[in-house]
Amino acid sequence: MIRVHRLSKVYPGGVTALQDVSLDVERGEFVFLTGPSGAGKTTLLRILLRQELPSDGQIVVHGRNLRALPASKVPEHRRGIGVVFQDFKLIPRKTALDNVAYVLNVVGLSGSEQRRRAHLALKSVGLSHRLAAYPPALSGGEQQRVAIARAVVNEPDLLLADEPTGNLDPDLAVEIMRLFREINARGTTVIVATHDRDLIQRMQRRTIVLDHGTVVGAARATA
Amino acid sequence: MRRSAALHRLAYFVTDAWDEWRHSPGVNLLALGTLVSALFLVGLVGLVLANVGRHLDAERANVQVHVYLHDSVGAEERERLRRGIEESAGVVAVESVDPAEALRRYRAWAGRSAALVDELATNPLPASLEVTLAAGPDAERVGATLVAGLAGRTEVEDVRFDRDWLERVEALLAVARLGGGALAVLVFAAVVFVMASVLRLAVHARRDEIEIMLLVGATPGFVRGPFLVAGLAQGLVAVGLALGGVEAARRGITAWVGAESIALVGLATLRPLPADASGAVSAVGIVVSLAAALFAVRRSV
Repeated sequence: MIRVHRLSKVYPGGVTALQDVSLDVERGEFVFLTGPSGAGKTTLLRILLRQELPSDGQIVVHGRNLRALPASKVPEHRRGIGVVFQDFKLIPRKTALDNVAYVLNVVGLSGSEQRRRAHLALKSVGLSHRLAAYPPALSGGEQQRVAIARAVVNEPDLLLADEPTGNLDPDLAVEIMRLFREINARGTTVIVATHDRDLIQRMQRRTIVLDHGTVVGAARATA
Repeated sequence: MRRSAALHRLAYFVTDAWDEWRHSPGVNLLALGTLVSALFLVGLVGLVLANVGRHLDAERANVQVHVYLHDSVGAEERERLRRGIEESAGVVAVESVDPAEALRRYRAWAGRSAALVDELATNPLPASLEVTLAAGPDAERVGATLVAGLAGRTEVEDVRFDRDWLERVEALLAVARLGGGALAVLVFAAVVFVMASVLRLAVHARRDEIEIMLLVGATPGFVRGPFLVAGLAQGLVAVGLALGGVEAARRGITAWVGAESIALVGLATLRPLPADASGAVSAVGIVVSLAAALFAVRRSV
């Protein structure tokens, strides 16, 4: 599903974010990307989303070579990917239901179909009782669950999460990881960037360790 | 299916545009006010220029020679002279205006200012003949011949056939139109800049939403859609308000002129803004508003 070969990213000014990174992720896998701040985790996720172009090397997602992907094809590429952020990025003036439903405008669904699917997505993350709540009225864990529902509502093949538990306490972090595991169990490939070693240990999934832009280690899932 | 998706997309643009308006009413009202003010001013100038132009056209079509007679010329002599002129080639009609009629016309034209003549012991206005010539390319030649023939007659005190003022006023009008057009271009360029700067605040307030939409696969055109629909709606509202304001101003001035009997102002505010000028104001308003919305959102998307 994802093939990364000798990928490098050098920002203007000479800062190297990734250097000679090679890795593969198979369809349906659950992978942690870990490493200290500045290791290149977020840069790799941004390249996977085609928010940035690599400076060198190849990256192929769903059979698409992202270096050669024309700008006009980027939206189509992104429609197959769900994304979750550390800071949730919810719209404060929209209810939980609307925060999930509005992204379905992109695929041209009717309002009723949007609400139906958003309802199902929120139900799958255990928030069917908070549909009408606005983000400021939700706890951090609930906000992140809304963000996860938004990421999966379009049934993506790939889910990317950048430090999704960074703003949550350990119990909520475990709860969020349980949701990712359920999503993965339904067939979605999940890549989670985190520097939370306890969480990685607890989840027992394949882990790729980055440091200073290079892959310095990898561990296979033991469970 | 494709049509249905397009309809849903349009419905989303409209709903989201309204949402955007509700979300940043202050910013949007500021942008709207800027556009309405500029359109109103341009519409007002257009109203004055159009009416002056219309008046000049009427004057040009109405080719007249005014023959002022000495006070000693009696009614019989005046009538004889009138008939003589009427038989001249190129003359359509000759109207005899006695001093009382001249005074009545002056009072109607001057309004309150006519009170000045009441302070005089006698009517200062002379009797005259108003000679209407056939409009056309020969009018100038016929008028000049008539003036030359009448100027030496003993009954005639003065003959007026001044067409030069029309040329001068038309030249001034052309300069005003050209200068006004150039100024309007500069004003609207500034309005686009101001509106785009103000609307950028509204776009900035929705940057998270825009980022999410782009990350879930929205095309830049899809993200810009609601902002452009809001721009279009804002342009239409601004055009409506500005043209309504110009018409209200015209009616107000006309009513005031009627009450005050100020003839000169009345000439310039007699008729509403012509359809072509209204259309131009509408087109400019919509284009300016759309351009401002596009510039505002292009930096973020």
